[in-house]
Amino acid sequence: MIEAHNLSKLYGRGVYALRDLSLRVDKGEFVFLTGPSGAGKSTLLRLLLRRDVPTDGQLVVGGRDLATLTAAEVQAYRRSLGFVFQDFKLLPSKTVLENVAFVPHVLGMPVSQQQRRTFQVLKWVGLQHRMNAYPMELSGGEQQRIAIARALVNDPMIILADEPTGNLDPDLSLEIMNLFREINARGTTVLVATHDRELIRRVGRRALTLDHGRIVEVN
Amino acid sequence: MRALRYFLHEATESLLRSWRSAALAVLTIAAGLFVLGFFLMVNSNLQRVVGRWSESAEMSVFLKDDITEEQLRSLEAEIDTTGVAKERTHLSKADAVARFREDFPDLAASTERLERNPFPASLEVRLAPTARDSAHAVDTLAAKLPTMAGVADVRYDRRWLSRLGSAVGFIRTIGLVIVLLLGIAAALTVANVVRLAAYARRDEIEIMQLVGAPFAFIRGPFIAEGVLQGGIGALLAIVSLWVVFLTGRGWYARQALEGLGLTTLIFLPISAIAALLVGGMLLGCLGGLIVARTVR
Repeated sequence: MIEAHNLSKLYGRGVYALRDLSLRVDKGEFVFLTGPSGAGKSTLLRLLLRRDVPTDGQLVVGGRDLATLTAAEVQAYRRSLGFVFQDFKLLPSKTVLENVAFVPHVLGMPVSQQQRRTFQVLKWVGLQHRMNAYPMELSGGEQQRIAIARALVNDPMIILADEPTGNLDPDLSLEIMNLFREINARGTTVLVATHDRELIRRVGRRALTLDHGRIVEVN
Repeated sequence: MRALRYFLHEATESLLRSWRSAALAVLTIAAGLFVLGFFLMVNSNLQRVVGRWSESAEMSVFLKDDITEEQLRSLEAEIDTTGVAKERTHLSKADAVARFREDFPDLAASTERLERNPFPASLEVRLAPTARDSAHAVDTLAAKLPTMAGVADVRYDRRWLSRLGSAVGFIRTIGLVIVLLLGIAAALTVANVVRLAAYARRDEIEIMQLVGAPFAFIRGPFIAEGVLQGGIGALLAIVSLWVVFLTGRGWYARQALEGLGLTTLIFLPISAIAALLVGGMLLGCLGGLIVARTVR
């Protein structure tokens, strides 16, 4: 599903965020990316979101080399992804329902389908009763569940999560990870970047440890 | 249609959210278009004045006392064939003295004491309005007539009409330069307001980009916002022009109109109003596009 071949990303002043990194994530797999701050986890996710292109090497997703995609192909590719961030990135002026429905709306899904699908995912994350609330009225765990619902609403092939439990306490973190496990159980490939080794141990999935832009350990 | 509704909804919300800066952009556009509209209005009325004056422009061909009937016919034929004359009148010596008496009644008595009539007969040629544009034909005629038999002198109003035409053209050019500068200022103001709106919506835009929303969906609201600002600015300019027009027409312009020879002032023609409205929307659209192009 995801293949990186000798992937390097060089930022200004000769600092490598990723260096000669090679990895393979199979379809339907759940993989953690871990390592200290500045190890290159977020850079790899940025490259996977195609917000950036590698300086060297190849990043292939679903058989497509991301560096060669045209603007229109990037848009089409991103429609096959779901993303979750540490800071949730919910729109404060929109209700829970509007936040989740925003994605199918801007992708041009018919209104009836938008509503059905939005309600489905809200129910799935257990927050259908809060659909008229605004993000500020929700707890951190609830906000992250809304962000997960938004990532799922488009039925993506891959979920990318960058420190999704960074702002949550250990119990809520495990709750969020259980949601990711359930998503993965339905066949969606999940890639989670986290520095929380205890959480990785409790979830018990393959973990790639990065340091200075290289994979230094595979568990 | 759904996309258009979305663009307009987002644009309206954004305008309401940042109404102060939007009002500034609308006022700048309105100011630019007001100046443009004012120049158009002044220009169209000035054109009427020039047209009216051109209609009354005359060429006077003074005849020698000993001109023969044949020479007179020849002169008349020459004037008619050029096509610059709208109307041609033969004024005899007796007609000339009668007109003098009518125009200057205080001096009428003095003409009766003269032993012979000193006023020359003439051909009064009223130029056709088209003659203003075919100055060459009038010049040629004016140069030829004095060389023909029986002609004492030729006088006509071309020089000051041509000066008037140049003055009108100069005013129009100055107006266009001002309008152009105001247009650029208006487009840049709109661009800044839309840029502020883009900044306020940066999270929304980021999400749209990340989920792969079509560019049209991402950029559309900015362009719609620019068009709305431009449209509202243009409407404001047209309404202001109408108020100025009514005030001007009903107030001190009446005296000036009499002096200029116009009985009424006219407002902008429908085509100019439509052009102002479309122009305003295009200016706004341009401002929106400047920002939209930066959103990828």
